[in-house]
Amino acid sequence: MPLGHIIGRCASRLSVVFGAAALLLAGCSKPAPTAGTSAAAGPSPMEADLARTLKAQAEFYLFKTPADVPGDLKWQNGAELPEFADPKAKKGGAFNYYVSDFPRTIRTIGPDATGGIRSYLLDYVEPYFMHPHPNVPGGVYPGLAAEWAVTADGRTMYYRIDPKARWSDGRPLTTDDVVFTFYFMRSPHLHEPWYNDYYTKHFRQLIVFDSRTFATVHPDKKPDLAARFGSFTPYPRHVYQDFGADWLERYQWRELPKLGPYQLREKDIDKGRAVTLTRIKDWWGADKRFFRGRFNPDRYHLEVIRDPDKAVEAFARGDLDMFPLGLPKYWYETLPETHPEVAAGRLIRFKFYNQTPRPDWGLWINRSKPLLDNRDVRVGIQHASNIGLVCAQFFRGDAEQMQTRSDGYGWRMHPTITARPFDPVKAREYFAQAGFATQGPDGVLKNATGQRLAFTVTAYSPALRDMLPILKQEALKAGLEFNLEVLDSTTGFKKMQEKNHDIALVALSRSVELYPRYWEMYHGTNAYADAYLKDGKPVTIATGAEPNPRPQKVQVQTNNMTMTFIPELDRLIEAYDKAESLEEIKRLAARIEEIIYEDAAWVNGWQRPFLRGGYWRYVKWPQGFNVAQTRDMEEFFLHWIDLDEKKEIEAARRSGRTYPAALQVFDQFKSN
Amino acid sequence: MTSRFPLLRLDPLTRTKMRRFRLIRRGYASFLILVTAMLLSCAAEVLVHSRALVVRYEGNWYFPTYGRIHTGKEFGLDYAYEVNYRDLRTRFNADAAGRNWVLLPPVPYNPLENCYVGENFRPRPPDWRTSHFLGTDQINRDILARLVYGFRNALVFAGSFILLTYAVGITLGCLMGYFGGWFDLFVQRLIEIWSNIPFLFVVIIVASIVPSSIGMNLGVLLFIVVLFSWTGMTYYMRSATYREKARDYVHAAQVLGAGTSRIIFRHILPNVLSTIVTFIPFTIASSISALTALDFLGFGLPPPTPSWGELLRQGTSNLHSPWIVASAFSALVIVLVLVTFVGEAIREAFDPKKFTTYQ
Repeated sequence: MPLGHIIGRCASRLSVVFGAAALLLAGCSKPAPTAGTSAAAGPSPMEADLARTLKAQAEFYLFKTPADVPGDLKWQNGAELPEFADPKAKKGGAFNYYVSDFPRTIRTIGPDATGGIRSYLLDYVEPYFMHPHPNVPGGVYPGLAAEWAVTADGRTMYYRIDPKARWSDGRPLTTDDVVFTFYFMRSPHLHEPWYNDYYTKHFRQLIVFDSRTFATVHPDKKPDLAARFGSFTPYPRHVYQDFGADWLERYQWRELPKLGPYQLREKDIDKGRAVTLTRIKDWWGADKRFFRGRFNPDRYHLEVIRDPDKAVEAFARGDLDMFPLGLPKYWYETLPETHPEVAAGRLIRFKFYNQTPRPDWGLWINRSKPLLDNRDVRVGIQHASNIGLVCAQFFRGDAEQMQTRSDGYGWRMHPTITARPFDPVKAREYFAQAGFATQGPDGVLKNATGQRLAFTVTAYSPALRDMLPILKQEALKAGLEFNLEVLDSTTGFKKMQEKNHDIALVALSRSVELYPRYWEMYHGTNAYADAYLKDGKPVTIATGAEPNPRPQKVQVQTNNMTMTFIPELDRLIEAYDKAESLEEIKRLAARIEEIIYEDAAWVNGWQRPFLRGGYWRYVKWPQGFNVAQTRDMEEFFLHWIDLDEKKEIEAARRSGRTYPAALQVFDQFKSN
Repeated sequence: MTSRFPLLRLDPLTRTKMRRFRLIRRGYASFLILVTAMLLSCAAEVLVHSRALVVRYEGNWYFPTYGRIHTGKEFGLDYAYEVNYRDLRTRFNADAAGRNWVLLPPVPYNPLENCYVGENFRPRPPDWRTSHFLGTDQINRDILARLVYGFRNALVFAGSFILLTYAVGITLGCLMGYFGGWFDLFVQRLIEIWSNIPFLFVVIIVASIVPSSIGMNLGVLLFIVVLFSWTGMTYYMRSATYREKARDYVHAAQVLGAGTSRIIFRHILPNVLSTIVTFIPFTIASSISALTALDFLGFGLPPPTPSWGELLRQGTSNLHSPWIVASAFSALVIVLVLVTFVGEAIREAFDPKKFTTYQ
């Protein structure tokens, strides 16, 4: 199972974060079905199977007439929301950027599809039916849908497909593609259990009214139904006629029609070296509100540069048009303000404060291990972990310690909880309460039986390799020994997912959602397979099962890496997942955060509240640079190239002409 | 041939070889430098460490170098963890009475500590004023201290590596040569298969799997590396034993009723010793390189163990701080060159054809 698929749903899925710079390993792998019907003489095996499936699952796939659409629906189209791109952006030019590895496939779904390039094939560029507005929390703007409506009971959502929406091969997008998408996503041939589960658990029915109108029915009422479930993109039915058990092989490098503005042509795949996207000349969405002014370069060239140290040099040389300078090393040493190109104003450095949920970096303490099951020891570890020093001196003040598990969710965060500070004296008090009162000859505390207070900290990020010794040295001041273990990413994450660690330094990345999720990380059934006493089926408390006082079977391959099992917390999380109003969600989230704080199994890590990087002067951005909820400077494709200025800058580099140089700081979205 | 300690008793032939070795001045000088460095590194705590050599406090003497830690409270400070002797020295020096004093080693840093708490962690250039003679690495650890302790680790590794690989290689090689026949054929095929496994790849794979259960340390790493390195020695020992086995003194020993192990280890081994001796320096060089390569790639000893490979890795990713890579690289080159000089000299000295020179 790919790492990124372990939890979360597509638009809001959690994936593992590698590196101090909060790199996203996997963006969000998204579903999408195909549309279109087969014009062939006989139905293809796929069509035959689809027809069988529709018949067999008649309770899921319903076909009605346009007259069945209720007349009293309140249709929405996001017209009240502001646009966020610059409509004056100039189209054209070739943009040069890099990816850190060559993809193993250009499929956007299925095994190996979650590589870094998927952002450019799917996440950043392909339209969904509806998108969460990146500047207005809770706002939704239309993509493939012209308009949508949610029924009064909050469980059914109606969609009208934009009549202009068409595939890059010219075929219009219809509900045939939507039907295929659901068939595709729920098919065992997909080799994606997470999608299978998601499209089964969260969708109760798909109702088709005509070629442009359909509805989805959901089991739970949600305040953010449109953003949560409307953000998916269909897959083209007419080119998936070969879909079947062995489709992965066949579609590995096949060029597929797109709904978005960019196409990856087969001749633009330079295996192992680069891929280049080409803008579709007469893209249907070019003038649509919320799409205009975006997706501007004609060609988007992605060079494979595996070593980031080399990539930053390529940027400084002018081979790349922009670069993220998140790592202090790049910002302060490789491209400082005294760098000739920066000082000459030809290369611009920026700092942009964004508002997104932060990857939850921290030390995840495994409560199922001896000694770590003692709360006093865990609180002691919190007081013995000098994250503040790491933020101030390792990250050079660029990062700050997280206060709660849910920093970055704005008003949804807990108002008063703060991280326990580094305090060796307090830590020693807690350790003494746990029986560790005497100090051994090496400075490590011991208990009455002579057991040393030593734990292994497991990490798998090479960028953090140099940070761990700082934590180790500081922890010794509290009489605590950290043994360090830096593994490669696959082994390291596996160890954590199998709950074999003592303490894990890890983070899960979180995509923009209205409110945080807890079930994956904190529900007892994700810690122990036998958390609740009931034979057979998976149990939840809602079914009336009793908590198992002595659970034994560790539930592996889940993100409950603290092995938290607190029945009261489980009840709250279940209520939270079923909550229907934002007030209720907020109230329950606050209570959950309090219990997590009291339990002290997670040492608050750090977050960086901004993006920073550099770009050449001829790269242009909208006023204010970017949108509040962007996690990446190009996520919304707002930039463009000023071709005249590009020539000018290239000439200036030869002639030595300079421009006013200044660090650009955009703090309009800074939280406090 | 039957003395009690055949390996220690120097026969006239060996003494001649030693004399010849001493006459090869480049090799002999390298040998002396290396031996001195090894001896010094054994006592590294006295030369390079954050712990003081001597503390005189309130009429008491403290010798903290070896032994238990002394907390801040023992010296009138307010913390219960190990006292910072550099701060202590500053405090005592400021004290006009001058009754208390601290004597620190010449390089008052240990290889694990991040100095400069209170400032950003970043590489700092060499600074004689603060006794960072080679500068610091990216989290402000003293590079000289890490080099010295890294050297000691490398030596321990190389020494243990030689003992283990030679123990296995010599035993098996001698047995193969002595028994010959099907045993020789069979083991040789096994060795051929085993030695065709690409060394570094396998070590990397094994090293990345091991930690889940045991945890990586010097012993585990040594075991893995030895597992894939013992084969080389068997070839030489096998052929040397084949040759010696046909000599009369072996037959004589057999006639006298000596057992197999006695014949191999008491009679044959001392006579093939020169082969082994000439290989040792090159084995040292290759084991240091292997450890450095593994550490460089991140599959070696766990952080924060001081190691040259780790320093090299830091250096190459911080080329704007050239003192890191320069220190590690120079140290590695110097040691490997010295070892190679010694190796050449030994080879020349032990060469039966006296008047050839090793080019």
